[in-house]
Amino acid sequence: MATTVRPAAAADGVPDVPGHLTRADRIELLRAMLSMRLLEERAMSLYRQGRVPGSFYDGFGQEAVSAGAAFAMAAEDRLCILHRDLAAHVVRGVEPERILAQYMGRATGVTRGRDGNVHFGDKDRGCVGMVSMLPDMMLVATGMAMAFKLRGEARAALTFFGDGSTSRGDFHEALNWAAVQRLPVIFVLENNQYAYSTPTALQFAVDPVERAHAYGIAGASVDGNDVEAVFEAVRVARERAVAGGGPTLVEAVTMRMHGHAAHDDMRYVPAELLERWRERDPVELQAARLRALPDPVDVDALRAEVQAEVDAATQAALAAPMPDPATALEGLFAEEAVPLGDGRAPWSGFAGADAARGEG
Amino acid sequence: MPTLTYLQAISDGLREEMRADERVFVMGEDVGVFGGAFKVTDGFVDEFGADRVMDTPLAESGIVGTAVGAAVVGMRPVCEMQFADFIACGFDQLVNVAGKMHYRQGLAVPITVRLPSGGGFSGGPFHSQNPEAWFMHAPGLKVVAPSTPEDAKGLLTKAIRDPNPVVYLEHKHLYRRIKGEVAAGSYETDFTARIAREGTDLTVVAYGAMVHTALEATAPEQLDGASVEVLDLRSLVPLDEAAILASVRKTSKVVVLDEANATCAAGAQVAALIAEHGFEDLDGPVVRVAAPDVPIPFSPPLEQAVLPGVDRVKEACRDLLAY
Amino acid sequence: MTSSRTENGAGAPTETALADVTMPQMGVSVAEGTVVAWKVAVGDPVVAEETVCEISSDKIDSDVPAPVSGVLAEVLVAVGETVEVGTVLARIAPGGGDRELRQSSAPRGRQTDAAPGASGRVSPVVARIAAEHHVDLSQVHGTGRDGRVRKQDVLAFIEALAAAPTAEPAAPAAEPPLHIESPYIPEPAPAPAAPSAPAAAAAPTTLSRMRRQIGEHMKRSLETAATCTTWMEADMGRVEAARRRLGTTALPLVARATVEALREFPALNATLDGERYEQHAAVHLGIAVSLGDEEGLIVPVVRDAHELSVEGLARRVKELARRARAGELTPDEVRGATFTITNPGQYGSIMATPVINQPQVAILDLEAVVKRPIVVSDDEGNDMIAIRPQTILGLSWDHRALDGALAARFLGAIRARLERWEG
Repeated sequence: MATTVRPAAAADGVPDVPGHLTRADRIELLRAMLSMRLLEERAMSLYRQGRVPGSFYDGFGQEAVSAGAAFAMAAEDRLCILHRDLAAHVVRGVEPERILAQYMGRATGVTRGRDGNVHFGDKDRGCVGMVSMLPDMMLVATGMAMAFKLRGEARAALTFFGDGSTSRGDFHEALNWAAVQRLPVIFVLENNQYAYSTPTALQFAVDPVERAHAYGIAGASVDGNDVEAVFEAVRVARERAVAGGGPTLVEAVTMRMHGHAAHDDMRYVPAELLERWRERDPVELQAARLRALPDPVDVDALRAEVQAEVDAATQAALAAPMPDPATALEGLFAEEAVPLGDGRAPWSGFAGADAARGEG
Repeated sequence: MPTLTYLQAISDGLREEMRADERVFVMGEDVGVFGGAFKVTDGFVDEFGADRVMDTPLAESGIVGTAVGAAVVGMRPVCEMQFADFIACGFDQLVNVAGKMHYRQGLAVPITVRLPSGGGFSGGPFHSQNPEAWFMHAPGLKVVAPSTPEDAKGLLTKAIRDPNPVVYLEHKHLYRRIKGEVAAGSYETDFTARIAREGTDLTVVAYGAMVHTALEATAPEQLDGASVEVLDLRSLVPLDEAAILASVRKTSKVVVLDEANATCAAGAQVAALIAEHGFEDLDGPVVRVAAPDVPIPFSPPLEQAVLPGVDRVKEACRDLLAY
Repeated sequence: MTSSRTENGAGAPTETALADVTMPQMGVSVAEGTVVAWKVAVGDPVVAEETVCEISSDKIDSDVPAPVSGVLAEVLVAVGETVEVGTVLARIAPGGGDRELRQSSAPRGRQTDAAPGASGRVSPVVARIAAEHHVDLSQVHGTGRDGRVRKQDVLAFIEALAAAPTAEPAAPAAEPPLHIESPYIPEPAPAPAAPSAPAAAAAPTTLSRMRRQIGEHMKRSLETAATCTTWMEADMGRVEAARRRLGTTALPLVARATVEALREFPALNATLDGERYEQHAAVHLGIAVSLGDEEGLIVPVVRDAHELSVEGLARRVKELARRARAGELTPDEVRGATFTITNPGQYGSIMATPVINQPQVAILDLEAVVKRPIVVSDDEGNDMIAIRPQTILGLSWDHRALDGALAARFLGAIRARLERWEG
């Protein structure tokens, strides 16, 4: 059953306020998407060369969601990042070399070989690594927001999750809990139309934004392929959260352009659906926007720059050792509890806050 | 030194730690205004406020999952499951999110999950379970089970201070039945075993309520003057292997006692340990006494037939002593 | 002959094999022999080299020794029978007395070289203790099931043997308890709670001195700064709804909006001290607190106010106000503000000309929220009168550091946030 593309409607609380993104911000957004695109392209190639153990998941065609959402989060905010959200890791400052090493199970990967593919989170950059049971992380994000509220801190938590995972109990528990306690949490629903081979028509009967309203929380639906629209929606949601206005569910409508994983040829997706979405490639959309500026951005140069970074990262990751089997039993228990650290927050709107933290 | 019930000791330990560390807070169903289904947190909300004695929605997965989130940003949540049995609804969050997080991501999850466990009062199949074995089997979780008021307080303090997820089994049947001297102020009890009574002829290994059953069943006059050692495990993960094997070395005969269902209970792990590493010291087979593999029934004669009682333990010891 | 027999006998027996007693060859040409007498019966223990039977051959009569120690398991040739050389005459079940075999470390399978009681089994600990003390278990009386030798039995046996002082100790030394009792250290009862009298650090001074100090500060401010005041009306409908939900006054919400506006307009979050002008990134927000008609005014500071949510601000302000009135503020808590808010609106005043808190460059005055009839337009541009909660925001600012346009834009930014409040 074909699904329709919903236009970027002005949903609750997303005012048409221009000017939150400087030129540099907009370039940074494209850079993050390009990093994700090119890293995943390279990783797929390595996978086909037999250098990536296990499965390989990518978010091809969905780069705008994680890039835009993560860009709106402050350094002191916290994120739960899922498997099609690589750009969020990039925005937070995880180095490309460590990402590729992670895919290849090397000792220098983010989890040092303990978990695979995108099941990672750099704790020093405020990211919690996902589990495979979806959407467990919605509750973890809710809990982080709960702590912020208990301590009266102007911080927010954000989690990504997919259309499929809205069917599980933890989705309900998280939305309900966040609503009852009015927590500063942002739930980013990446509706990419398919959960493995299951289309959304078989997944839920009610529109996600309506479901959010049913829990008593704000909901917004945005064009998930427009990185600036995603940014704006999450920015507003964060503002609401920090003002004590409670949680928001931001539905980013997009399309999964590759299979569920590298081993899935997705023959169950109608060809014309993919064709329509191919014309709305998020990276191309942002590139076109920047090329069309009065002082056009040299997108090709940017792409070459990012590619060079990915190439260098590939060499470094390939040169990294595999983990020592003797260490397989280490690190089951912690010796001390160190909370998550702050991540990179490149949006110009946070510049004041960055300097303030230095002063405070 | 004050004499407190097991329940009061738990309250006391929790209160002390909440006073000492503002990061500690309690979360669970009915723990705030109502003071908890078993009144462990009675009066807490007046002292600490509703934020720190949090009445949560009816959502066990939510309780554990949000606790993980709060913990990784610097808090020390103490989750209360209304009955241990309901942890099944939060199993995924506890085992897959909390338990595996540090191994995978190097991120510590300092949560404590209190489980009011055990039967003996016609609670029926959903209010009488001893689910500790499920969590012994999940790498990354620590599991402790005090049997005395003194240990209840000390183990809870230690559990809260531990940077890892700790499952804390408080046996409901001991809440008001058992009293003991409990030091005032703050103290920790290490996650090790304790000799409840020294002996030379046979060892009974037990934990939780079964420690008291074992002590009663093996009092010297019960077994014609035989000298029976009772080892209270106190900690199931980490399991005090050295203490278990030392006791076996001393007495050479051992009865392993579980209130939980026999198959793969904590005692099965103890028995396997002894069989492999204590073989040379054995003068008889490793005997297990546990509940048979049925849900704990409700009607008193049925429940009493299922839960190991003093008589069953006594008979097992008598047989093994004679072997 | 003897050697072959010895080899035969002393060759390592398998754990389960019976040892053969065969008709010996008593001379190269001898082909057969006759059993003359059996010296042991089936079931009797035999010791190696002990005579099992007597045989007669053409050349010589001889004794046949047992090749191993053990128990005579079967007799195959009767007295008077003549058999060829090499024929098996009897079989012995080996066991007992062979020390090397007994002391092998990890016992594999059944212990067949142990002295069997009626049940035939010896437990690992019994075997080990017996080996350590060179005890022949066949000598030990078993009190276990089916006459099994228990650990107590072998220990008692050893104790009885140990009459001589040089004998090994009767029983293994008692092991020290591996674990002491619960390792708590009794602590003395906690000291009684300290009296709640406030610290003397910031004890309120006498009324007149305070009043004098305030007066001097105000006068100095008006003499130093080029003080101007700008007012702007703001619709407080959304703020009223939000603050009621949060259970606070409007102050923390206005404070939050102000903090955000200050980050947008850092020129208002500045200090001008003589010639020294500095804009600050961190917002340390002073909140004017009235101490009463006699006691005057004090301005405690919420440090790093930009890091607090509305609820956080509400809590901190409440706490600071409480401590201010209790005279518990420390000197650090009334210093270092970068901007001040004063909120005297509870008496119904709608506007004022606040005095700037030196060395800051501006101060915001929040007065009463009052229902007023105002003009609103609908979607088609039709004007009508509506009744809305309104307030007049007052900003006094230093014309040495900024101009009226900037002051108005700043106030406008606060107003915009208040009027779009989503909380």
